[in-house]
Amino acid sequence: METLDFLATGFSVALAPMNLALVLIGCFVGTLIGSLPGIGPINGVAILLPLAYAMGFPPESALILLAGVYYGAEYGGRISSILLNVPGDAGAIMTTLDGYPMSQKGEGGRALALSAVASFAGSIGALILIVLFAPLLSELALKFGPSEFVWLMAFAFTCLATMVGSRPLKTTVGVIIGLLLATVGVDSGTGVLRFTMDIPNFFDGVDFLVVVIGMFAISEVLILLENWLKNDMKLTPVGKSFVSMSDLIAVKWVVLRSTLIGFVIGVLPGTGASIGSAVAYGTEKRFAEGNDDQFGKGDIRGLAAPEAANNASAAGSMLPMLTLGIPGSGTTAILLGALLMFNITPGPLLFEQQPEIAWGLIASMFVGNIALLVMNLPLIGMFVRLLSIKQSYLVPIIVMLTFIGIYSIHGDSFDLYFMVLLGVFAFILRKLGFSLAPVILGLVLGGVLEENLRRALSISGGEWGILFNGPISISLAVATLVAATGPFIYKALKPKQ
Amino acid sequence: MFDRLFAGALLGLSGLIAWTAYHFEVAFQYEPLGPKAFPLILSAVLAVCSVWLIIKPSANKWAPTGAVLIKLISGVLLMTGYAFLFEKAGFIISTAIVGTVFCVLFGEQTKRAVLYSVTLSVVSYFILKHVLQLNVPTGMLFGG
Repeated sequence: METLDFLATGFSVALAPMNLALVLIGCFVGTLIGSLPGIGPINGVAILLPLAYAMGFPPESALILLAGVYYGAEYGGRISSILLNVPGDAGAIMTTLDGYPMSQKGEGGRALALSAVASFAGSIGALILIVLFAPLLSELALKFGPSEFVWLMAFAFTCLATMVGSRPLKTTVGVIIGLLLATVGVDSGTGVLRFTMDIPNFFDGVDFLVVVIGMFAISEVLILLENWLKNDMKLTPVGKSFVSMSDLIAVKWVVLRSTLIGFVIGVLPGTGASIGSAVAYGTEKRFAEGNDDQFGKGDIRGLAAPEAANNASAAGSMLPMLTLGIPGSGTTAILLGALLMFNITPGPLLFEQQPEIAWGLIASMFVGNIALLVMNLPLIGMFVRLLSIKQSYLVPIIVMLTFIGIYSIHGDSFDLYFMVLLGVFAFILRKLGFSLAPVILGLVLGGVLEENLRRALSISGGEWGILFNGPISISLAVATLVAATGPFIYKALKPKQ
Repeated sequence: MFDRLFAGALLGLSGLIAWTAYHFEVAFQYEPLGPKAFPLILSAVLAVCSVWLIIKPSANKWAPTGAVLIKLISGVLLMTGYAFLFEKAGFIISTAIVGTVFCVLFGEQTKRAVLYSVTLSVVSYFILKHVLQLNVPTGMLFGG
């Protein structure tokens, strides 16, 4: 019952006129960003974060806006997947497999409508699970001491290393780079300046926003430059957009299963929508065995599964971020960084001490998803038309927004140079097959990890054995070990085909 | 090859970090770990990872053509120039210039690029400055 009270508080926050407007703006911008090939949710959130910060929104409003962009983009990503065979973001890659063949058969409208409903069902399903699990998880997390948090983060990084990116080794390097970036600046315990190279701008640490924008947005501009081709993509005609009851009934179990899969993968630290949708698609294909010859040729099950899953995992990745302070995906790492900038520490206490933020965000996601369903059914034509916007017009806007966003924080050109430098560095990382999400996760969690490690060892007087004290620590240590070795054992045991 | 070069650089970096961290002058310290331990642990892990990467690099097929490389370098120079001009020349002028070049880099005709970028910079200036009330540099030319 208590949960319902909190949820009511949340809705009173989410339905306040300004927050309602921000949800709608966030969802609209998110769908737009998701549908444009090249700019995914991470970039969208990264570009808008400094603007939201500089405009002085209260933390819950800023979070509501940015989260709206995040899950809005998961809706939008499907549009160009279906119509152009170009995924709008990483979570929509699997959507191209059956979505594009459908639009080639002249069923673009049917595909867009069905995938919008699947996205909606995935999100709402995951949100209901969040409402159920958030109080339980935050209650459990209240029992966490410093050593438990150390293991939780070790677990998060291990999941990330074994499941994300081209090679576990490279992901680990990415995490270490992020953690090292987090150590720059004055050490709060002793006042020692670390790795500042005597540059005053670094005394306070490297600015999170500059790193995020530099690494994601600026490197993205360079990637767009490299991959630029004359924009002669032909839109397949959409046809009539309609939701048919028989389609919905045919995929209801597919959507339910995919929602669960997406949610679980979203909750796992570090693994986001792209993995969720891939696993859901694979599972459905196996479920349909013997009856799966249409998969990849425009099967509605193959369309509904990834769309339900990527939205469920986008929502699911919010759960560990809010309750434990451990982001479930790269984009939620940025949201976590945003909260830290507002001096709010996500974690179990957030639900008790600042319910308006945690529950306000959850409630706003219910509102936002309803708005997105409306935007993505009758208004779909508008987004489709925006797809044909040329990159030559888009890139100047992106560059302009990143520069003004960073400049307006401190009013210092140094940040702009540093941002470009980081962009070049991140471009090289991407070209070498390193993914950037681990770096951001390391950067966001670095301070907390070090603090908890030092606190744990202060308690024990320098005795490392404290890390294996208590049942929760030991279970988390075992989970970390399983996450580290599991995928390799699985690969070794799997019979070769 | 790229991997080995990069891993070599990382190995050097990890050494530098370890050396710097080891020489932090800590005036007082109330806890067993202090500010040195965490960076030292990280640099050790980084060193191990770099050596591993040098021994077992991944294949890399990235081979940009000369034209692409020129494009990339001009993109970087352009953004550096933007950073240089942003405060000095002000938002409107710097955005108009940099926007135009970016438009052209992405294949737009010069005339339309100029028209688009000038409109973009003037309109955005008023939106960002007066509607969103951000800290937008006016530039010396306009008395900012």
